[in-house]
Amino acid sequence: MAGISIERVTKSYGPLQVLKDFSLEITDGEFVVFVGPSGCGKSTMLKILAGLEEATSGTVRIGGRDVTDLAPGDRDIAMVFQNYALYPHLTVARNMGFGLKMRGMPAAEIERRVNEAAQILGVAHLLDRKPKALSGGQRQRVALGRAIVREPQAFLMDEPLSNLDAKLRVHTRAEISALHQRLKTTTIYVTHDQTEAMTMADRIVIMRDGEIQQIADPDTMFRKPANLFVAGFIGSPGMNFFRAELTGARTARLLGREIELPLAKAPGTRELLVGLRPEYLSAGATGPVTFEATPRLVESLGSEKYLYLDLAEENRTSLKDAGSDDRRADQFIARVMDADHVTQGQPVSLSFDPARLHLFDPQTHLALN
Amino acid sequence: MKRKLPAAALLYVTVIVTCALLVFPIYWLIVTALATPAELRALPPTFWPTAPRWGVFAEIIEQRPILLWLGNSVLAAAGAVTLSMLVSVLAGYSLSRFKVRGGQSLGLFILTAKMLPATLLVIPLFGIFRMTGMIGSLWSIILAHATLIVPFTTWMLKGYFDTIPRELEQAAMVDGCSPLGAMVRVILPVSAPGLAATALYGFVLSWSDYAYARTFLTNAQTNWTANLGLTTMKGEYVSNWADISAAALIVALPVLLIYLFLERYLVGGLTAGAEK
Repeated sequence: MAGISIERVTKSYGPLQVLKDFSLEITDGEFVVFVGPSGCGKSTMLKILAGLEEATSGTVRIGGRDVTDLAPGDRDIAMVFQNYALYPHLTVARNMGFGLKMRGMPAAEIERRVNEAAQILGVAHLLDRKPKALSGGQRQRVALGRAIVREPQAFLMDEPLSNLDAKLRVHTRAEISALHQRLKTTTIYVTHDQTEAMTMADRIVIMRDGEIQQIADPDTMFRKPANLFVAGFIGSPGMNFFRAELTGARTARLLGREIELPLAKAPGTRELLVGLRPEYLSAGATGPVTFEATPRLVESLGSEKYLYLDLAEENRTSLKDAGSDDRRADQFIARVMDADHVTQGQPVSLSFDPARLHLFDPQTHLALN
Repeated sequence: MKRKLPAAALLYVTVIVTCALLVFPIYWLIVTALATPAELRALPPTFWPTAPRWGVFAEIIEQRPILLWLGNSVLAAAGAVTLSMLVSVLAGYSLSRFKVRGGQSLGLFILTAKMLPATLLVIPLFGIFRMTGMIGSLWSIILAHATLIVPFTTWMLKGYFDTIPRELEQAAMVDGCSPLGAMVRVILPVSAPGLAATALYGFVLSWSDYAYARTFLTNAQTNWTANLGLTTMKGEYVSNWADISAAALIVALPVLLIYLFLERYLVGGLTAGAEK
């Protein structure tokens, strides 16, 4: 086990810069998740850590040792690939023991470690099978087993759950977290799924276009997003964004009401971008600000409902920058509990607390509160 | 279902006719080898000899050095295939994995070599082999056949390596292999079906050659290949077609055996299970 230090790493393919000045300190035993949309550079950074890609500039240290120019096999790391990358011609036992054999470990010790890992992962009965005779979930476990038998300084995981079905994904997610609790090995986990990031990480690194947007623990990431992109990326359904013109030093018109904004000082602009998470809108006049709206669509998830509501022209904003491509400018979403009475096309009272609003600068998109 | 029936019937008829066309020459070769001279000339033709001459094969082996020819053919084909595979595995892997400037043009250049007719190379190769004193030696055939085999097998293997996920090598490298070690320990075993198909192709190409053997080995009877030897069985005025057919069957046997041996590797699907 060891800490990992990434110092000012960049990566370019010709004129295309896929990683821009990436720096991060990961402490011993930490579970760090790199998350971001496709093409944000998260997998490239992981491959640079593994030694499978060369950094254009910068330094990588694992356990205090500069590994920037070392071959992957000399870095004492283990990697779990998105497509598992099991050796199809070897049995499960030989797949798991391959890395140990390459390091010249005695056969008896390899067998002991493989058996131990197989017990932990519940694949002991599959040791003589070839990968083609395994289900997706079993292959995933074997891939994890191949990593843990090595007892490396760090685990690198590249979207290891993305090929599993939804139910198995939730199950395996919990298993990986439990495995980390048990082994306490430093882990870097790459995913594009913000739920995985939120549920598994000690710290999340949100990336976009090769740049780190924010590094924080999941709660902070949710409660205090550093910018519009992070605010829109974290949370499901994503945060609602509104354009609000200031009517006073700290007041603005939003959803047909005059709202007191949660600002310490007056902003330097006439207009603000306001964010409100769908779960902070509640049915009924329970919050400080109440308004009426008619849902154009109601989706029921059993315990809760998603209400799709029309947004007035004055509050509409077309954001290309807010962590999600499928956002519609003319609607916002409320995620409400105990809303059996709410139906499509029928007016409903909704309320929210202005203290829950997130405010962003319309030019820089940085958080203001 | 009603609309599908004529299509299925057409498919079966096509398959049966194709199989019949492919199998008939082999069947006729067997009939010719086993028939008596009178049956061979009979009209209407005899479709199965009344008393098959099973001893014809032993007679041929006794009368002609056919086993020596076969041995030479095996040596030439095995040598050419070994040499070609050594070159084309490395070349195909490099073309598949390493993106270097001009790599694609180099690959296409190799392919154009395959497009040249084999006979075009006979004279320059003869010149080279005469200069190096290899005329009459099996080495001339091995090298000449390798020049024919390498371009095509390189491209066949490149195509096969392209289908193998890069993550397999990456996993092997993280597990401690060098890039060459990852290729030898992981990629080549996984490529067994591709390697088998390619080697078989090379073997058949070398086995069926006549032009090179005729040019380079004519004056070295002890080094004749089976094909070259077979043609000497045809007389100027009289040919014993039964004997020639029997010899041809003996010559075809090794390729059949090799195909049967490699067949399990030729069936794809070994990479199943590597990925999701």
